[in-house]
Formats: sequence, C-alpha cells, structure tokens
Amino acid sequence: MKNSSHLSDEALQSYLLKEIQDDSLIVEHLEACSKCQKRLEEYQVVIKNVQKIEPEGFTFDVSALVMNTVTVYEKRKSRRQEFAFWGVLILLVLGISFFSLPFLPAVFKLFFSGSGLITLLAIGVGLGVFLFLLTDIIRQNQVKEGKIFKNNLQPMS
Amino acid sequence: MNNESDHLSDKFIVANVLNGKIQDFALIVKGTEKLVTQIVKKMVFDEDDQKDLLQDIYLKAYQNLASFQFKSKLSTWVGNIAYNTTINHLQKKKIPIYDLETASGNASKETENPEVEAIQTEAVDILTVEIANLPPLYQTLITLYHLEELTNKEIAQITNLPEGTIKSYLFRARQILKEKINQHYKRNDEK
Ligand SMILES: [Zn+2]
Repeated sequence: MKNSSHLSDEALQSYLLKEIQDDSLIVEHLEACSKCQKRLEEYQVVIKNVQKIEPEGFTFDVSALVMNTVTVYEKRKSRRQEFAFWGVLILLVLGISFFSLPFLPAVFKLFFSGSGLITLLAIGVGLGVFLFLLTDIIRQNQVKEGKIFKNNLQPMS
Repeated sequence: MNNESDHLSDKFIVANVLNGKIQDFALIVKGTEKLVTQIVKKMVFDEDDQKDLLQDIYLKAYQNLASFQFKSKLSTWVGNIAYNTTINHLQKKKIPIYDLETASGNASKETENPEVEAIQTEAVDILTVEIANLPPLYQTLITLYHLEELTNKEIAQITNLPEGTIKSYLFRARQILKEKINQHYKRNDEK
C-alpha cells in the first residue's frame, strides 16, 4: 500500500462523524499508519467529550420573563384598539350631529306640533336602542378580554 | 424522531395562538427555550443584555407568527430569529463574531493561569473552558452541532450561512480544540 501522504484533518473528522460514505481508503490507511491512528484518537477525545458537556441554562425563568412581556404587549395592543374604537365612534357621532344641525328646527317643529305622547314615545325608543347597543358593546368587550386573559398568565406584579 | 407529529402539533399550537389563545405561546417558548438559550448564552454574557434579547426574540416571534410558513421546524424558525437578533446586538456593540485572532489571545490568557489549569484534568472540563474561549460564532456552531445535535441543514436555516461555511467553521473549531487539548496534556506531562 502506498503511504505517500497522511490523512488530512478534514478526512479524519469526516470519518469520525460518519460523513463519508465510502471510507475504505481511510480505514486502509489507518490500519497501516500509527501516526494517523494517533491523530484520529485525539479527535475522538475531542468529539466524545464535547458531546458530554451539559448545556447550561439561565439562572432566571425564561418562560415567565417572556410570557410577561408578551402578555403586557397584548394588553397594550387591545387597549390601543379600544381607544381607536371609541375615537372613531365619537368622531362619527360628532360628524352626524354637525351635518344634521340644519335639520334640527324642522324636527323640533314636528315634536312641538304633535302631542306629548308622541314625544315620549320617540325619546323612549331612542333611549332603548341606545341602551341595547351599549350593553352589546360592553358584553362583546368582556368576552374578548376573557378569551385573552382569563385562563392564566396574568402578568406578574 | 417523529417529525410528522412534531409538525402537526406545531400547526395546532400556532393556530391556537393566532386565534387569541395567548397562553399557548408558552408551549412555543417551552419547546424552543433550550435552543434559544444556547444561541444567546454563547454570544452574549451580560445578564441584562441576555434578558433584553430574550424578550426581543420572543416578542418578534409572537408578532410575526402569522408569517411562519411551516417550511422548517418551528424551533428552527425561532432559532433563526434568535440568531439574527443576537448577531444584530453584537454588531451594534461592535463585538467581533468570528475573529479567531482576538479569541486565541483570550485563550492563552486563560490557560496561563496556573490555578485554573491545575483543576482542569478532565478532558470535558478543558474543552468547556476552551470552547468558551472560541469566538462567539464558533461557540454557537459547536454547541448547535454537538450539544443540540442539529444537522448542518438545520444550522444553515438558523444562521443563514451556507452549509459549506458551517462545515469549515466546525472543522476549524475542532482543530483548535484538539490542539488545545494536546498542548494541555503535553504541558502536564512535562511537570
Ligand atoms: Zn498516515
């Protein structure tokens, strides 16, 4: 067998990590060459012992830290959405009021010409619709908050 | 192992989180924590920086969860976020990531300490110290490959480095570790 050159470090490592499919030439050389055999053993020590090292964790609780951050972020986001919702609602009401200003005198005339009963009825219906919408909004909001925060993971105080 | 069921449970968990079950995100954290810890810990040593990074990494993962395409394992995807965030942090602080020159300087400083040397007789202990003296990227690659037992392909997905580059960095790292062990034993024999 020709022994003109020794095995490269790459070859030795690849052989140890079983990355070479046909390693017959390497095996052949190793059987004949004690020098390369020794180098192989040195790499064996490195690889075997590196695998023995226990990966170290953090001293603090990563899950608790991270979930707190995410929960706070989510709460802020839903608060922002809430503000946006009320902002749009207020703008809408103001806008409608503004554009309906010219019609107000006509509407008042209608009420004062009619009987008190009709006035009461109109106010009653308006109030009823308003209360119904309000409770619905509040209920939906509670369901949404419950979905997000009820089960667990309240932010740590 | 059973990648198929891993994949299915990944999908299930992601769908739950996206539907507002925020507490299910804790499962994602649990499943990726070990990998992310190794990436952050091997490259950043200040505890406050580590905490900032961890929060940053997982908040990014949470915010971008909808864009996860299931083209890789969820842990690989989170690992990639962790790697990029950590590398950005190091670059901002102008800390060299793969500079072997400065690292070997550190290493000789360390081993010149006779007290440290006397304690380290086990190969595992010597290697633990010598790995810690490698540049951040080399440490991370050695850890991902040999301790987390990831494949070159998975490491490539995490680090965005070509597999050939990863292989040659790993090769260099093992070569250095072998030399360090030899030096150590030789010096002990002379005593
Ligand atoms: Zn030889």
